[in-house]
Amino acid sequence: MSDPDARTELAILLDVGSAWAKAGVIGRVRGDWRLIAHAAQPTAWGSAELRRSLVDQLARAGDPRLAGRYEVLLAGANRIECHTARRVGRLAVVAVSRELSGSAARRAAEAAGWEVVDLLTLDDGRTLAERISTLQAVEVDAWLVAGGFDGTASPRALEAAALVAATRPTGKGPVVWAGTAQLADAVIGLFEPGAVTTVANPRADARHEDHEALREHLRALRGVVVQEDEAHLASVALPRAAGELARQGGLRVLVLDVGARAAVAALAEPDGSVAIRLHAGGGIAGIARAAGATSRVARLAGDVGDDAAIADLLETIRARPATLPETAEELAATQAAARVAIGAIVEEMGTGPVDLVIGAGRTIAGAPHPGQAARMLLDGVRPIGVTQLAIDPASLLGPLGSLPDDELGEGLALLAGDLLAPLGTAVVTRGGEPGGPAMRVTAHRPGWPATGPIQVRVGQIQVLPLPAGQTAELTIEPAAGVSIGAARRSPRIQALATGGAVGIILDARGVPMALPRRADDRRAVIASWRDAFQRETERVA
Amino acid sequence: MSAVHRVRLPAGATVLVEVGHAVEPAETLATRRAAQGGASVAIATRLRRSPERAAEMLTVVPGTEVEAGDRLADDGRGHVVTAPAAAIFLAYDHGDGRALLAPLGDAEPILGHVRGEISAVEPDAIEIRIAGALLTGVGGYGSAVHGPLSVAVDDPLDELRAGAIDVGSSGRILVGGSRASAETLTRARAMGVAGIVLGGILDKELRDFEATQSRRREVGGIGDDFAILVLEGYGKVGLDVDLFGWFARHDGHMASLFGSDARLYVYGADPPPARRVFPRAGDRVIAHRRPYAGVGGRLVRVLETLHATPAGIPARSGLVRFDDGRSAVVPLANLEATEPSPG
Repeated sequence: MSDPDARTELAILLDVGSAWAKAGVIGRVRGDWRLIAHAAQPTAWGSAELRRSLVDQLARAGDPRLAGRYEVLLAGANRIECHTARRVGRLAVVAVSRELSGSAARRAAEAAGWEVVDLLTLDDGRTLAERISTLQAVEVDAWLVAGGFDGTASPRALEAAALVAATRPTGKGPVVWAGTAQLADAVIGLFEPGAVTTVANPRADARHEDHEALREHLRALRGVVVQEDEAHLASVALPRAAGELARQGGLRVLVLDVGARAAVAALAEPDGSVAIRLHAGGGIAGIARAAGATSRVARLAGDVGDDAAIADLLETIRARPATLPETAEELAATQAAARVAIGAIVEEMGTGPVDLVIGAGRTIAGAPHPGQAARMLLDGVRPIGVTQLAIDPASLLGPLGSLPDDELGEGLALLAGDLLAPLGTAVVTRGGEPGGPAMRVTAHRPGWPATGPIQVRVGQIQVLPLPAGQTAELTIEPAAGVSIGAARRSPRIQALATGGAVGIILDARGVPMALPRRADDRRAVIASWRDAFQRETERVA
Repeated sequence: MSAVHRVRLPAGATVLVEVGHAVEPAETLATRRAAQGGASVAIATRLRRSPERAAEMLTVVPGTEVEAGDRLADDGRGHVVTAPAAAIFLAYDHGDGRALLAPLGDAEPILGHVRGEISAVEPDAIEIRIAGALLTGVGGYGSAVHGPLSVAVDDPLDELRAGAIDVGSSGRILVGGSRASAETLTRARAMGVAGIVLGGILDKELRDFEATQSRRREVGGIGDDFAILVLEGYGKVGLDVDLFGWFARHDGHMASLFGSDARLYVYGADPPPARRVFPRAGDRVIAHRRPYAGVGGRLVRVLETLHATPAGIPARSGLVRFDDGRSAVVPLANLEATEPSPG
């Protein structure tokens, strides 16, 4: 029965993605802030429909004294919002060599969130006429030119800049020179005043690549070009939340958000500093156009279809990113695509060992089975050593990350109980002979007899149930030639495992994961891995 | 009913039209001079200087467009090097004292490929207002073509077969059904078909076709005069019945198809059937994901609570009675409401 005197405090946390919008309502429940409603829908359905979903949920499960007033209460509630960039910055990259300056420039640009419309290099086999014609045809927001080692005045690097000068309409988009410093003045002289900015050469010499300065410059330039409020961009807010989580927990945290169009990875250190990678085309919908991706997805997906069927699925996802997989086969292939997307971003980032991996975005955090989410994270990241896994099921991290500095820590702490859904702890090994011993693990839980020792062979995965909220002391004995990352001073390694919806995952599939060459064998192995996750997780549930 | 088509202009293009001009598909809107290749000009030798010294005497900077006879370098003592032809000065090699030029060819036309009236002329684009309807698809292949529309299948779920294409199809834009094989596409191209509009296509077959066309183009066998538009999705995906009916009503109308942009303009056409996300009970709908991709039906009712798909994903869903007799609960995110054309 509605009580007009009843009062409440509510806030809406909103994460508006390019394909799906997610909203959570938080309110005070017996003095604590808790998530009391959550809804997700295609972004195109609009905010009114999203609010209606939340109101319906609250009417069914909320405080009955507030019945009939939720519409008004939500309309007046605080909104804490983040969103995907509404427009992607488009960049043309012109460089001297595909392998050196070109690849470094491309990596920096993609990691800064640009869509590289064309990478043109002077060794790409195109004729001069084709290069000029290509550059005349591209429609971009900015131009990036790179080439030559520092200390040299490479005429080829100047030729690359001249190609841009000859084909770029005057005044159309800023030009970034990230080539040899010696040519900076000459390149500036090719364009109208103010058109060129110079950045440290990411390939200053043949042996080293450091594109951090270029990446940061391009990230800032993207903000200027697309003209969006950075504080509420998911690509800024999510890493801020990751940094605060890492600082609060004293952990090394990797957050991965594989969205429909873009993918964001944030690697946060215990001091709160964060390395960010934003791949504008790195989301699930972007996989269709990545070279060789269809075959990689088909290999990882197991028995869900041949390359042709996978190609159709990936193109369908690209064309209609807000749609959902209906069949088990399509879901398996979509999740395989997520593993490929994660693998690509982590490989580029070079994460090293981490304490906690958090999966965000609907494909991972909205997976129907927690074992599927854990598998996407493990297969994609291959976090060697002992790593906690969790997901952000209600998409709260992004909105909370858009809070001001002085409220961020408090916001995360207040919602700690609902923020992350722990999946469990993974022990990932590298090395060993296929089929040979990888590790022996004994789990000690307070008040329970020890479990094990459990023998895990190279290529195997085993899952031990350990519910959320519980911990276990693990004694890990890696076999000869097998590593779990850290330098070994003793044949036994002690580690603390925290429980979750999946449990303790003993993963001896190697880094990188080795798959049989024969298709039948590969399908059988993948099915056995899938079953290992499903079986034990269902037993916990 | 009208739509606006935008023609992008490359740097250096010369515009030949003004706002208000009526234009035809094959009419030249602007011209450009394309680079024809590379040419090397000995600067240092002709100036009788060392390469380093000659570099100081260059009168142009890389990226500059020059006309035949324009000075490239001048030593101030009567020795001058000029451009042998209109070109872009691209680079100077300090090692051998030679300049790299990209000679520019004769003026080439930039066509609009549409019929309409010029509505705007900007430095980098020309806009043309078209009296007709615009349809956008989810993908496509090829360049810009134009020709009369011709419906080539009896049913929107039919596959466009190679046997359905004959010499009478030459110059036409064929409207197929749910799929066309690479063999059909190859035959269509060989028979002079201008373009094909499909509900769906197998991505692998489209890529195979693209690859063969690319190889043929490399050896000079074919030009850029064929385009494909995919309207609904990938795989075997039928056209919506209402949309198919709209095409049938406009059989014979002239159309312009931009394959890689996935756009089709149909001249003098009524508005095509509209699409709307978030369908409501009673709406005619079309499904976009397997196993119902491209199949139309009626959304009988929307379920009150979330319903898990067979894959296990909980989603707001509705009961759909499909035209092929099947009934199923389908996520609303996978459905679009279709509204009949007012015509």
